[in-house]
Amino acid sequence: MKLLAKTNRYYLLLTTVLFALAGVALYYGLYAALRSEVEEQLSNARLHLERRAAAGRPLPETPFEYQLSVSPVPRPLGYRDTLLLDAEEQEMVPFRQLTFRLPVQGQPRWVTLRKSLVETDDVLGVVLSVLLAVLGLLLLGVVGLNRWLTRRLWAPFRHTLHTLRHYGVQENRVLMFPPVSTDEFAELNDELTRLSQRLVADYEAMREFTANAAHETQTPLAIMQAKLEQMLQLPELENPALATLATDLYQATLRLSRLHQALTLLSKIENRQFAETAPLHLARLLREKAQQLQPLLDARNLTLTLDLAAEPAALHLHPGLADSLVHNLLQNAVKHSVRGGTIAVHLTSLALVISNTGPAISGDPARFFERFQKHEAASASPGLGLSIVQQIGRYYGFAVSYDFSPTNSCHTLRVAF
Amino acid sequence: MKLLLVEDEPALRTTLMEYLRQSGYVCEVAGSYEQALEKVKLYEYDCVVLDLTLPDGNGLDILRALKADGSRAGVLIISARAALDDRLAGLDLGADDYLTKPFHLAELNSRLRAIIRRRQFQGSHHIAFRDLLVWPEQAEVFVREQPLTLTRKEYDLLLFLLANPNRVLTKEAIAEHLCGDAVDSADSFDFIYTHLKNLRKKLQEKGADNYIRTMYGVGYKLSTD
Repeated sequence: MKLLAKTNRYYLLLTTVLFALAGVALYYGLYAALRSEVEEQLSNARLHLERRAAAGRPLPETPFEYQLSVSPVPRPLGYRDTLLLDAEEQEMVPFRQLTFRLPVQGQPRWVTLRKSLVETDDVLGVVLSVLLAVLGLLLLGVVGLNRWLTRRLWAPFRHTLHTLRHYGVQENRVLMFPPVSTDEFAELNDELTRLSQRLVADYEAMREFTANAAHETQTPLAIMQAKLEQMLQLPELENPALATLATDLYQATLRLSRLHQALTLLSKIENRQFAETAPLHLARLLREKAQQLQPLLDARNLTLTLDLAAEPAALHLHPGLADSLVHNLLQNAVKHSVRGGTIAVHLTSLALVISNTGPAISGDPARFFERFQKHEAASASPGLGLSIVQQIGRYYGFAVSYDFSPTNSCHTLRVAF
Repeated sequence: MKLLLVEDEPALRTTLMEYLRQSGYVCEVAGSYEQALEKVKLYEYDCVVLDLTLPDGNGLDILRALKADGSRAGVLIISARAALDDRLAGLDLGADDYLTKPFHLAELNSRLRAIIRRRQFQGSHHIAFRDLLVWPEQAEVFVREQPLTLTRKEYDLLLFLLANPNRVLTKEAIAEHLCGDAVDSADSFDFIYTHLKNLRKKLQEKGADNYIRTMYGVGYKLSTD
């Protein structure tokens, strides 16, 4: 809901309440004023009649008997409300009456004076219709005014919003806005510019740090690996005890370097350092990767079926990430397959589905995507494959989901584009 | 064969240099951008092994200088940066191949040999080893003049072994060479074993026995005797 629509709502609520209160006050005020005026007139008429009676003249005749009735029998005294039938309109009309005792030519008489009150319904009708008309006009006015305001006054705000929506940190540029005359928007734009300056500086520092950390760690690892490989060439390594020690060290180094690579990749994805993209031919990539994995498949006696029915159109990914995504998905399927099992790759224009047969895995499936989650604690793999898949999915807005079907013991990973 | 190794990290530089000299190359080293640039301007090399991140400059600029001079030297880029953009930039500028640190020494050697083979002999080159004769461009293998039929992977494996004679090749290095990418499950070494077994059997059938030795727990070695 728009800010103006929201403010309008409160304004309208307030106006409606005020108008209702005003309506009630107006109604009762009018009514009370009317009554007191009528009573005053009745009292004046009484004084007139009393003076006339005191002068010994008879009471006047009136053509409208409902305005003045004289009775020789006693009647309750004082002001009263009464309803009389209006013969013309065939409806009851409210009257105010004043009854008093008056001696007329020595005879006691009870005189009743009546005056019509305006009909309540009519008053109410007038009050309500006037108020509603004003309320309606106000509403129209407010809506119209706001439309105009939204177009005129909020234009710079919308421009800022548009700029922000298309701004990415990895663009590595400071946000600039055209000058604005509204103070609040000018302030907002200034702050955003300053924020983007800080972002650019921080991002640059972080990128440098990641690159440096990667470089600084990778180099000692490369040295360790090269030295160990050299060491394995020594004739002394014919000694099985030494060979085992050196091999263990060598394997641990390889594991560390693989871990390092995976973590660097994850942090790079998180820092959104893969801005450039290229059109992806997923079917071709899948075929290539499957080809590469063939020896592994043969060794584990796995059957891989590629069903590349349709390719998602217009998929743009960073080539490195696309490679990593497919590699990790396939690698994961191979790793968790039973010997002699099957892996099925199914590609449609909407999703990539990779399923493999394998024993049921205990634990919460949602945690499979967490870092360092591995099925077998002793496994040499760092357990980052699915985290990488999920990060890449998140980066490009793909939904990655896992499903296990116990009937055919089939694990399915689905990447919906 | 004369190589220039450009690497700023002294420990790695020394190890690589020792290894390359052992493998029969004449190897010169440069530890900085300035040194490397001076050397490529002054001397002719068959191949330059180039680290991209140097303290005083970008390795890609050395590659540009080489290409600008019309040098015939092959270029193999090694870099800690796994960034694909760097790799693509390097290959676009005319580098022959790219290795990401850390790499297996045997892999480095195998890539160097392939580059030199492509650049220097233009297909007329063959590799002779004991009774073996391999024509890499035609992918043909002969044992005592008899043709040997190998699968693609067996052939790759043999070539990898031939590039590193008399050196222990670790299972990991072989697995990575054959599968392209890091293979990170322990039992995936089964397939190396299968391919090696088949290769050995085929060699044995043609009378080339005991060429490949198993170094227990470590890997395999192409034996010169």
